[in-house]
Amino acid sequence: MWKYEKKLQYPVNIKKKNLKMAKCILTQYGGPAGELAAAWQYLDQRYIMPDDRGKALLTDIGTEELAHVEIISAMLYQLMKGATKEELKEAGLDSQYAQFGMDLFPSDAFGNPFNMTHIKVAGDYIADIESDMGAEQRARATYEHLMDLTDDPDILGPLSFLREREIVHYQRFKELRDYYLKIKNESLK
Amino acid sequence: MNNYVNMGNMFQNEFMMTYPEAMPQAKMSVQDSELSKKLSKQAGDNMNFNKCGYDGKSNPNQLYDVYNGFIRGNMFPDLFNQYKLSRPYDVKGMNEQAELLTKVDAYSFAAHDINLYLDTHPNDRAMIDLYNQYSADAWTAKNEYESKFGPLFVNSNEGYPWTWNNTPWPWENK
Repeated sequence: MWKYEKKLQYPVNIKKKNLKMAKCILTQYGGPAGELAAAWQYLDQRYIMPDDRGKALLTDIGTEELAHVEIISAMLYQLMKGATKEELKEAGLDSQYAQFGMDLFPSDAFGNPFNMTHIKVAGDYIADIESDMGAEQRARATYEHLMDLTDDPDILGPLSFLREREIVHYQRFKELRDYYLKIKNESLK
Repeated sequence: MNNYVNMGNMFQNEFMMTYPEAMPQAKMSVQDSELSKKLSKQAGDNMNFNKCGYDGKSNPNQLYDVYNGFIRGNMFPDLFNQYKLSRPYDVKGMNEQAELLTKVDAYSFAAHDINLYLDTHPNDRAMIDLYNQYSADAWTAKNEYESKFGPLFVNSNEGYPWTWNNTPWPWENK
C-alpha cells in the first residue's frame, strides 16, 4: 500500500506564472516520457521480476515516480495559477480550459490525453528493464529540452532535480539488467 | 567533471553549522574512471549523457553530504552530471518552517537514494549503515518539524482539533 507524505520530494515555489512553459511541461505529466507513464510502467512490471532484487527496485523507483507526478503537478498548478482568459488563449491553452477548466488533466504538450500505450511492458524481464532504461533516457532528454526553453530559476531548479533522478534511475536499471544477464548467461553455460 | 563537490558555498557552511553533529563531512571528490574521462573529453564540458563508465563499485561510499546530494538530486558524485546550470541551485527556506522541512527533505532524499543503491548492491554493509543513519536522521527531523508545525503523515500523533487538514498543502506556494 502507499502512504501520503504531506510534502514534495523537492520543493516547488514558482513566483511567476508562465502559461507557455506550463503547456510544455504538461508532457512530463501525461506525455510519452512522462512521470505518470514511468510510475505505472515500473509498478506493472514488478510482478514478473525473477527475484526480490528486481521487485524491490521497480517498487522503489515506481513509488518515487509517483512523487515526481506530484512535483510536475505542483509546477503546472503554480505556473497556471491566476491566468487570465487572454493569457490562456495566447498560450494555446484555451481548449484545455474549455474541457477541464483549471483542473489538471494528464496530456502531452500537444494536448493529446494520456495514452495507456505509453506504458511499455513485454512479459520478458530483460525487455522490460531495457524499456525502463529507455524510458529514463527519454525522460532525461525531455527535461533537457524543457530546461532549454526557460531561464526562470524557480522552474529550472525542480527540472534539474528531476533530470538528475533519471540519470540515477537509469544506472540502477542498468545494474539490474546486467545482473540478470550475468545469471542468465551463466545458467546457459 | 565533478566540479561541484565541496565548493564550500555560503549556505552549505551555514547549513552544516546549524546541524553540525548530524551532517557528516563530504569526502573529497571521486576521481572519474578512465572511460568516463575519455567520454567526457569527447562530449565537451557540458556532457549531457550518462557516465557509462561508472561501475557502481569504484567508490560507493564517497557520497556528497546530505545537503549537497539533495540539491543535486543525486548522492553519488560518480554519477553526477550537470546540464545548463553552472552549479546546482541552493534550496534555502525563508522561515524556520521551510528550513526544517528542507532538513526533512534532505535526509529523506539521502536515505532514499541509498535505498535504490542497496536494491542492486544488497551486500554493501557500509552503505546499509549509512542508510540506517540517514533514515534515523530523517525521522528525527520529521519529529522536530511535526512538534512545531503539525503532521507530515496522517498517522502522526494528532492533537485536538484535527490538525491534518489545516497544515499547508505542499503544492501551495505562499
